[in-house]
Parts: sequence; C-alpha cells; structure tokens
Amino acid sequence: MAPAAAAASPAAQPTPPSLSLPPSQFARLQPHAYLLAHLSPPAASNHPSIRANGRAPSQFRVTSANTGSLTHTNGSAVVRVGETAAVCGVRAELLHTEDIASWSVTQPSAGSANKRRKLVDPTLKASETVGDSSEDTYDEDESHIEDLNLLVPNLSLSTGCAPGFIPGAPPSALAQSLSQQILSLLHSTRLVRADDLRIWYQPPNLGPEDLERHNESEQMDVDADEGEKNREIKAFWVLYIDVMIISLAGNPFDAAWASVLAALRDTKLPRAWWDIDNETVVCSDAVSDARKLTLRGMPVASSFCVFEADAAAGWRAVILPDAEEERKIAEDNRKGAQRRWILADPDGYEEGLSQERACIVVDKKGGNGKTVIVKMEKNGGWAIDSRELRQLVDISSQRWDHVRQILEQC
Amino acid sequence: MADRRRINGPPSGTKPPVFVSSTKAKERPQRQRQPNDLRKLFLKTGLIPSASGSAYLEFEPSASLSAARSSPQSLIPPSSALKLACTVHGPKPLPRSATFSPNLVLTTHVKYAPFAARTRKGHIRDSSERDLGVHLETALRGVIVAERWPKSGLDITITILEAEDDRWWGDTPDSHDAPWGMMNVLAGCITAASAAIADARIDCIDLVTGGVAALVSDQSAEGEASSPRLMLDTDPAEHKAILSACVVAYMPSRDEITELWLKGDSSNVSLEKGDSRSGHDALIDGAVDAARGAHTVLAEAVRESAARHSGLPVDAATT
Repeated sequence: MAPAAAAASPAAQPTPPSLSLPPSQFARLQPHAYLLAHLSPPAASNHPSIRANGRAPSQFRVTSANTGSLTHTNGSAVVRVGETAAVCGVRAELLHTEDIASWSVTQPSAGSANKRRKLVDPTLKASETVGDSSEDTYDEDESHIEDLNLLVPNLSLSTGCAPGFIPGAPPSALAQSLSQQILSLLHSTRLVRADDLRIWYQPPNLGPEDLERHNESEQMDVDADEGEKNREIKAFWVLYIDVMIISLAGNPFDAAWASVLAALRDTKLPRAWWDIDNETVVCSDAVSDARKLTLRGMPVASSFCVFEADAAAGWRAVILPDAEEERKIAEDNRKGAQRRWILADPDGYEEGLSQERACIVVDKKGGNGKTVIVKMEKNGGWAIDSRELRQLVDISSQRWDHVRQILEQC
Repeated sequence: MADRRRINGPPSGTKPPVFVSSTKAKERPQRQRQPNDLRKLFLKTGLIPSASGSAYLEFEPSASLSAARSSPQSLIPPSSALKLACTVHGPKPLPRSATFSPNLVLTTHVKYAPFAARTRKGHIRDSSERDLGVHLETALRGVIVAERWPKSGLDITITILEAEDDRWWGDTPDSHDAPWGMMNVLAGCITAASAAIADARIDCIDLVTGGVAALVSDQSAEGEASSPRLMLDTDPAEHKAILSACVVAYMPSRDEITELWLKGDSSNVSLEKGDSRSGHDALIDGAVDAARGAHTVLAEAVRESAARHSGLPVDAATT
C-alpha cells in the first residue's frame, strides 16, 4: 500500500485544481484516465512516464522466495511477487505398476530403456549442472510422465485471495486455466526427469556371485550387462504439486510458476525399493539416503500486458489496423506521443485496464548463457509485433537472471 | 468419479510411501515446556492487501521439530506447527437473491491445503473442515456487533497451510484417540480470525482469542500411570494419552466465553492433591488461561494494524 500512496502524489499535478478529488478516488472513478495520466505526463512537467504503482513500464515487482518451511511436504516454497503470494507444496506418493491397467500390455518386459540408459554416462550425469541438459539424449520414456499423469499440479484460488472468488465453490475458470497452463508447461519443458520418478527392481540372478550384490544393484546402475536384462520398473513416484494463491494482486501465473519451480528444486524423494517379501515398495526415512530431483533447466515466466491510450477506439474498430495506420503510430511514437505501453508484471489494477496479454517463458542454457524461448503466448490484441516481442524476450531474459539469483539464494 | 475441474492423478490412485522405520526417529517428542507454558505465536495482519482484513498466524515449532529442521535426520517430521492464513472480505451487500437480514450475515470457510496434514487432504471440504467452520462461526458471532450492518455479508476464509498432528505418528489410533489436533487448529483459527476482523475494522465488543487445555496422563515419564495433569496449549504429538481436551473462545475484558468445545471424558478424573476442582472445571479454567496468553499477542497485532491504517489516512477514508 505504501508505494501506491507515494505514487499517488504525481497525479496531483495533472488533475486540474478545480477537481478536488483525492487521487485514490480518481483512480477508482476513472481508472483508465488515471493510469494514462501517469504514463503520459504533460510535456511541461518534468515527471517521467511512470505507472500508477510507481514502477517503470518494464520493471517487475520485488520478488522474494523461501523454501522448505512446510513440514509435511517433500518440497515447498513461498514466492511473493509484490503483493501476490503463492505457496506451493510438493507431495510424493507411490504408483505401483501393477495398479496401472495398461502396464503389462504396453511395456515389453525386457527394458529397451535399459539400453538407452547406458548411453548416458553416469559420471557425466552426476557432474552435470542443473541448468544444463544439452547432452541429454531424448528419452522416449519421458512419455511415462505424461501418459501416467505422474505430475499433478493443481492451483487453488479459493483461499480468499481476492474478493471475486467464492471459497468452497468449484475452481473458477481462471484457476482451471492456470492449473492447465502449469501442467502443460511442466510437460513441454520436460522439467522433471522421468528417471527420477522410477523405482526399479533388479531380481536376484541367483548366481552365487550375485547374491550378496543385488542389494546395491537394485537402485543403481549396474555395470554387468546380464544384470540389466530383467530389470523392471516396479513403481513410480507421483508428484502432487499444489499451489495455493494466498494473496492475489495481479499476475498469478508468474508467481505460481516460480513457486512450482522453487518447490521442485527443493523436493527430496526418499530412497525407495521393492521389498520382495511384502510385495510392496518401501522407503528409507534417512535424510542422507534421499535425493533431490535433477531438473532440466530453470524456465522462468514473465508476463506482460499492453495498456492502450485509446482503448475504447480499439474496441470499436472492426478492421485490423492497416499499414498506413501502423506508420502513423510509429510516427507518433517518434514524436514522443506514445499511445501504447507494454507493462511488465501487471498488478491487478493494470490487468483490469488492458486487453492484450503476453507471457514468455525463457531459459538459459549452459555456460554460454544463450536464451531459449520455452513458451510464448500472446492474446487479446494486435499491439505487440515481432519487434516488440524481441524486446520482451530481452526483458524476460534479464528477468531470468534476476529470478535465478533469488531462487539460488533461498 | 473424477473431478473434471481439477487435474487428477493416475486413475488407479496412489499410495503414500511406507517408511521402514529406523531406530533414531522412533522416540516420541517430549514436551520441553512447563505445563502452563504456552507456545509462542507469530501473528501478523494486513499481509493480503486485496482483502478488507487479513492475518497470518504461526505457532512456534516444538523443540523436537526445530531440532529436526536444523539437523535433519529422518524424513518423518516428529511433530508439526500450525500455520494458517485468514482473510476477511466485507462487509459487502448481500446478493439480490438473499432474503432480508437485519444483521450482518457471517460465513466462515476453513480449508486445509492438500499438503497441510500427514495424509493428503482432498480439494473438496470434508466434514471435519465444515465442522471447524461452524465452530468458528459460533465463536465469532458473539463478538461482532452484527446490528450495525443490516443486509450485509462478511466472508471469513481460513487456509490452513500446516495443521497440528492428531497424535504422534508412531501411535496407532486407540480408544483414547480423537482428532485432538483439530482443537489446536480451532484455537488458532479463532485468534487469527479475530485479528483479521479487527484489521478489517469491523466493530466488535471485544477481542476474542482461542485457547486449548488438556488433561494428560503420561505413563511414559515414570513408568506407571500417574494422576492426570492439566497442560495448557498441548501439542498432541508430545503426549501418549490425552484424556480430554477443551478449546474456548474467550473475551478477556468481559470475562465471557463465546464458544466451548470439550472432548473426551473428564467427569471422573481426579486431579493432583490440593486441587478440589472437578475435571472439566479445571479444563475450562486452563483453556481460559491459555486464551488470556494469546490475547497479549493479539492485542499487539491489532495495535500494529491500527498504526498501519492511521498511517494511510487517504486509503483509510475511502476503503
């Protein structure tokens, strides 16, 4: 609240003295004019173009993250982006392959996957940094995650986070859409390795030299080739990823995704093995045995919205703006009369005033720091063209650096 | 039948992991506090700016839990500490379809996060969550001056991020067993909701707080069954047998109780020598004492909330 009050003071200048409304009331009565007055101050005054919340157009809100504070989770994180707060908890449960109806039909008993696993050198894998997966051979068994629903993200907005969402009601369209976006992003980025979620079993070979060794070999890669033959998957870990939006002040997706990412980075899975006597999977509760997930990269989401000076005119127009009009806009831009602003990390007030949204998810790979666009989404208007998209990708990659610092510190 | 509005896991369902117990984690956490010592509370208002009032409450983790946090040995947490967020929306006009009400209509929702408890909770409120909501509503209804807002509604939503355990995880449920953890949760809900209501500047006759006391017979300490002792602010994970427990919502300056919830059998319990009170009298007195302790924290949080509001005269006038 404090920055909003501080930002309200420049609004006193644009409003004529006869109109003696306090800025906060003006903001409610004429939201569009209020934000426009901030973004395009009169040339005479020396105010810079600034948003009503005091930020520059491409400035993100202060972000903070904290992990591992929830007791009953395998991994958890709280991420605050300004006044939007998301809590994410990851719970791992077991899915036995014998409970999967189609398992024995679709899986050949001898693992073709085992052959492929040997391509990935285990020493290389251990030394591999988290942000680096270029040497990964594409593993077609990754389809396990998608086919068996091993990742179950759900986002809840019915926490009283904003007045519009009725608690106790089924998830709103926004909550369903955000859950689905998180799920599809988890699948398309292949963030979680399917191999981390598999629990293997190596039946004892009953040869005299294997008897004492099979205890270790059932969890780890074995060097003996014949040992790999009848290795089988006995169970999978299923990760229930639940995001509670505790406070909603715009841009829930960035906060939710950052919390999912931070929680997955924090997630530890216990060591699990197939217990042949009880015919079930049991886990070790020792922390030293548990291992962290090795994620592929660190995709970071950045959302933007477009605020247009003549938004009402845009709604009335039935035809797309032609090249002539575009040139006029470009000229206006050059003259300094800007007519549209791309606002990074919009708060709730700005989201209500804009139609066009863009969301860009980027990652940076390896040592060269090359930016990779993981997802790009743009809807609701035609203001962002290819040149501006390029700018947004640059802003997003700066944001990536910033978020990486935050996530690595927590 | 799958819930088609949410993302469902594997259709055949999943099982929680079964741990092979190692010896070092097998000890029941011990209560390090004196019987009438309360846990510390963290209570902060105004963390959720889009709500008219909000509060966040956290119990101090028990000694065993903080030890397990600083040097983790086992993946099974010894106990857990309550963490919850409360929001208040309103007073707002009732929907057109609602019938006329001369008073403020109070609705309370208590929901556990799926990861709040030792076993995964569902997304849809279950009966215990509804029960908590009803208890909370009765606790608050006696405090709010409802006649000041005719035809209006007030929504109170509580999200529990981490709940108290009902028993120590190593114990099997037995005849003494009841959801004891729920009582601590309710006490926390009452205190947090009271702070959030004050933060929303709804007129109340007093600041209500919740407190818990329990009659505990700890056989483990001496080896033989000692006479039951009265403990304030019990963590159910730390006790082998809780005979009965009581939670009150108490208004200290009026010395009134708006909600009383007593579970277990306290009728023929003989307390220590020199204490002639009957079991439930002692329980209620203990719970009131615990509520008095929480009141100091609540008063501090409300004072801070008032300072924050008076620091922003513009917003305070318009909202």
